[in-house]
Amino acid sequence: MMNKAGTDIQIAICGSAGDGTIASGDIMKRAAALMGFNVIAFDVYPPEIRGFGKCISRIRISSQQAYSLKQESDILVSLNDMHAIPHVGEVRDFGAVIYDDHLVSRVAEGGHISAHINPAQIPYGFSIRQISEQATNSARSRNIVILGYVAGLFNLPGEHFRKVIKSKFATKAQAVVDDNTKAFDAGLRAGRAVFKLDDVEVREPAEDANGAEVVMMTGNGAVVRGFMEAGIQSYFGYPITPATSIMERLAVEMPPVGGKFLQTEDEISAIAAAIGAGYTGSRAATATSGPGLALMAEMLGLGVMAEVPVVVVVSQRGGPSTGLPTKTEQSDLNLAVFGGSGDAQRIVLAPTNVEGCYRCAAMAFDIAETYQVPVILLIDLYLSNRYETVVPSSENAFAPKPRVPLKLVKGKPYERFALTENHISPRALPGEEGLMHTITGLEHNELGRPNDAIHMTMTIKRHEKLKNAINYEGLNVSKRFGDTGRVNVGILGWGSTFGEILEAMYEAQAEGISCSAMKVVMLSPLPVDALRAFFNDCDQILVPELNYEGQFANLVSGALGRPVTRLNRAIGTPMVVDEILAEVRRLYIQGPDTQDGARATGAGS
Amino acid sequence: MSTPIHNVIIGSGSAGFGAARTLRKSDDKCRITMITMDSLPFYHRYDLPQVFRGKQDWRDLLDVPPAYYDEMDIKLRRCSRVVDVEGAAQKITLAHQEAVGYDRLLVCAGGRGYIPENLTSYAGLMHGFGSFEAAMRVYRDLPAGGTAIMIGGDMVGIDLALTLLDTGYKVTLITNGQTFWPHEISQEEQARLLEVLAAKGVTIFKDSRPVGVSRDNAQHAASCVTLEDGTEVFGDVVMSFCGLASSVEFMLGADVDIERGLLVNPELRTSNETIWAAGDVCQIWHDQEKAYRFYHGWKNVRVMGELASRNMQGAHEIFDVDIEDTIGIGPDGQLRSTFWTH
Amino acid sequence: MNEHVKPVYLEEKLEEIRADGHQEYRSKSLPTWCPGCGYFSMAEGLTFALKRLGIEYKDVVTVSGIGCASRFPFFVNTYGFHTLHGRVLPVATGIKIGNEDLTVVAVGGDGDAFAIGGGHIPHAARRNVNLTYLVFDNGIYGLTKGQASPTSAVGFKTSSTPYENGDVPLNPLMMLLSYGASWVGQAYAGHQHHLADMITEAMAHRGFSFLRVLSPCVTFDKTNNTYANLNMAARGLPEDHDSSDLMAAMAEAAQADHPALGVYYKEDRPTLDEVMAATNRRAAGTDPA
Repeated sequence: MMNKAGTDIQIAICGSAGDGTIASGDIMKRAAALMGFNVIAFDVYPPEIRGFGKCISRIRISSQQAYSLKQESDILVSLNDMHAIPHVGEVRDFGAVIYDDHLVSRVAEGGHISAHINPAQIPYGFSIRQISEQATNSARSRNIVILGYVAGLFNLPGEHFRKVIKSKFATKAQAVVDDNTKAFDAGLRAGRAVFKLDDVEVREPAEDANGAEVVMMTGNGAVVRGFMEAGIQSYFGYPITPATSIMERLAVEMPPVGGKFLQTEDEISAIAAAIGAGYTGSRAATATSGPGLALMAEMLGLGVMAEVPVVVVVSQRGGPSTGLPTKTEQSDLNLAVFGGSGDAQRIVLAPTNVEGCYRCAAMAFDIAETYQVPVILLIDLYLSNRYETVVPSSENAFAPKPRVPLKLVKGKPYERFALTENHISPRALPGEEGLMHTITGLEHNELGRPNDAIHMTMTIKRHEKLKNAINYEGLNVSKRFGDTGRVNVGILGWGSTFGEILEAMYEAQAEGISCSAMKVVMLSPLPVDALRAFFNDCDQILVPELNYEGQFANLVSGALGRPVTRLNRAIGTPMVVDEILAEVRRLYIQGPDTQDGARATGAGS
Repeated sequence: MSTPIHNVIIGSGSAGFGAARTLRKSDDKCRITMITMDSLPFYHRYDLPQVFRGKQDWRDLLDVPPAYYDEMDIKLRRCSRVVDVEGAAQKITLAHQEAVGYDRLLVCAGGRGYIPENLTSYAGLMHGFGSFEAAMRVYRDLPAGGTAIMIGGDMVGIDLALTLLDTGYKVTLITNGQTFWPHEISQEEQARLLEVLAAKGVTIFKDSRPVGVSRDNAQHAASCVTLEDGTEVFGDVVMSFCGLASSVEFMLGADVDIERGLLVNPELRTSNETIWAAGDVCQIWHDQEKAYRFYHGWKNVRVMGELASRNMQGAHEIFDVDIEDTIGIGPDGQLRSTFWTH
Repeated sequence: MNEHVKPVYLEEKLEEIRADGHQEYRSKSLPTWCPGCGYFSMAEGLTFALKRLGIEYKDVVTVSGIGCASRFPFFVNTYGFHTLHGRVLPVATGIKIGNEDLTVVAVGGDGDAFAIGGGHIPHAARRNVNLTYLVFDNGIYGLTKGQASPTSAVGFKTSSTPYENGDVPLNPLMMLLSYGASWVGQAYAGHQHHLADMITEAMAHRGFSFLRVLSPCVTFDKTNNTYANLNMAARGLPEDHDSSDLMAAMAEAAQADHPALGVYYKEDRPTLDEVMAATNRRAAGTDPA
């Protein structure tokens, strides 16, 4: 682990749909953020809307930057024993298990969570329901009582929780705020009265030096924030897990500032309309998941061919087909990078954390406009739904730049697809005087007229113009962490998995293994030079990713012609840090000589 | 294949833990469940004064590491209070509404510190010493060089008093009939023993009945015990060390004979064929005296647990009721008690 | 309007266009349609309508899908977007939302509209997107050289129905009426003046206007929708047709064998732009209501 002199705890709150589990976790993480901690959190809930499905909210609170959730939780709170019992095992030794010790109905042996707590874990039973009922005349505030208890037990300042409760229920009646505050305070008293036996420590977070605004958001929330700061003008969407919350949030935020929001009849119309709007100069976007992206593939080709800026957020889930709608996976890389007909390169950005979602989303429009091409923001369910603290840009750095009107050369027809030095052609927008032209999905000449003979020239133009995107200002298209110079093991990663990769890399470093990790944020065009430099520095390259085929490994080894060791997992859940670490150790011990080719764990090589 | 026999032990003190360990040694197939109100795995309560000697991490007090229970396949149910035992149905109900069935039951629930009846309403102002948490609260609330007021002064309390004196605290002792419990000694003997304590620095109020306890958080030495004659005794914490009262309420439906404790024969079985009892909770038939007697003291308790567990598995061992039970002053001038032997 | 007009030829039309002064709306590219194709009258009709309505060509976007009719944007001097097969309406919707000051004309054929693009029509119609959708319906796939389309007649022999088409054709007018299109009309490529009037009226309508233009494919259909047949079948709507009566429009539309030309239905209701603006005012708390 990294230096963990400060605080680094993970709380898991587990309950049944309807227990307010996710709301409870939400308050917890926001309060922790107010206290000045770094927070990273991930909620798991059932695909079913109603019923008794399991909900878990996991929140990692740390005084130093954390990159992923921990495998083990320090605290488990049960709002529903049936659901929480299978998770007792994730609580570390001398961690805490908090539960209700006054059930309302009899259960058979083993039906109570206390039957499953191992002797090294600390049981904290208290009458959650009774306290809620006494405080609010209702058992519905159990999810708030437990927050008070946690705050009391671990000596967290109550005022931050009260502030969050107040703002969370601000739209409800005052009685709701009052009741929840009462419930919290009652839980707090109960927690303070308990003799603490666990060794979970919450220490004061480090003082925030610059006093910048810290905001707690999910990956999807960060995308929305980025979009809003970039002045998104039109959005077209179709519901699909796990991207839906982007649409829902924009539906709230865009109309008050005059944005155009439309829920379309399908994903094809969503991207089609976004391209239509993008064509008019509107900052237009859509968001979807793998199945929706598959439907959008043809339209993306049109966007590439007709050189129309548009932004597409893709939050991956388990596939193929309908697959695992509520589980995470990184198996749409091929589709995002290559999907569609023809040589249709587009820009694909894969941020690795919530802050990255925010920054990439905010920059995506300008990138799309600069290079006149669709930009795909490729994230996944784990990143979409996990919470992290983000420091948003203080002044709006992402607003659209004022448009410079094109100069029409007298006597010369306007060439929408003029061949230029940087391969980017001056773009006229409909409504602009004298610059009428038609764009098309047919291969076309500089004027936009259908033309087959110019295909090679135009294909080169469409690819070459993107190369500069690697140098787009303010965007780290790749970044190396850990040891510099020559190392034994280099871990190469992308997307949400990079958090686990960093954790594993720092642990390996602590074990004395010389290693570093590199994230690749721009998957298309690929930053080949940076990658080659990294390959040259590393005796061996490990590529962990959440898919079976090793799509990123294929992409990178194809581009560089160099072998990599793959670590592929298609398990529906985030990569396990220990598995990466074990693979790093194996490579380290084995040494580079035996690496005569890519060894696949999972996929056939 | 038949389901393995389920042996349930209520209590995780010396008797209960010794019983569980013994059961497992002779039968590697049976189920063993230990149910305890305690929140920690087994530790010796007689080690609790050690919190004043630096052992404030409970893990330092454990007799075996937590992993031992998994290795021995002993199910440890902590923070679980038994509220009912149905002897006929062989079923236990826990306070949180979980039902646990058993084939054979061993009750080692021990006893809780007795508080003189006229003082029970002041219990909230007094400190206990029956668990690690209670011990730690005393530790936390006693300032350096502070004073602990002990009412009674049974052998558990005397042990703590000696530790406190040794670690720079002061002790005030208000004696009564339970002083030096469970030893039954004469007035003269008691006076002699108290002199030893006084010589060590214990302030002693002899046979003055406390009638009230009060606390004023605003001032140092905030606790005050008022004696019958109006004397006010000041200290930082007030503790009752007046012997143990057996915890037997939950056994009322168990179909067993109860007096003050659970009545058992010398084989430690109760009047119910599937229930045994050991430790501070039981009164054992003494054939010569024709009476049921308590046998306290840490060694006794452990021996009882082990013996009961063997008898649960078919043995017919008899508890040696003529165990030595003495207190005196050693050649070094220090108190000696068989109660403390372990 | 029941006049019998011979097929339109380019040279003649160019003469007329020059004389008329609306040639500026034509691009320098010449149409690639077969001589005699009904689509020539589309170009004619639209440029005529734009001129009559006084819309500046810089403010017009013609959007099309894929098919013979969809080549249209290349032949007018407006902004144009030649999109994908079947996707003209969602793209056109996006364009209108992206810049509501633009006049958006969506153009396509029957395959583009009713086969691959059929799923988009109801939504553009019910939302009342303020654009004009011209569907040139020749009942055949021309660009791919003569396969059956959703409006091909039963018994029609095409390259994909060599043993005769057995599928009952769609009734586009009934579809659009039931989808909630706020302006539904029918014209005939052979009646070009009436067609130009109808395009003008459709474009003048505030909201989603759907104009079906019966249009012969002179190359791949020698038996069904020929000029000869359509000239005989085409008739006007009854004098007393009430274009605000949806049921009456439905009843007329049901008579597919005797295609009536004219405005079947029109309705004044808020457009998507207006609905969105109202939503945004509500969201911003500036709604006077």
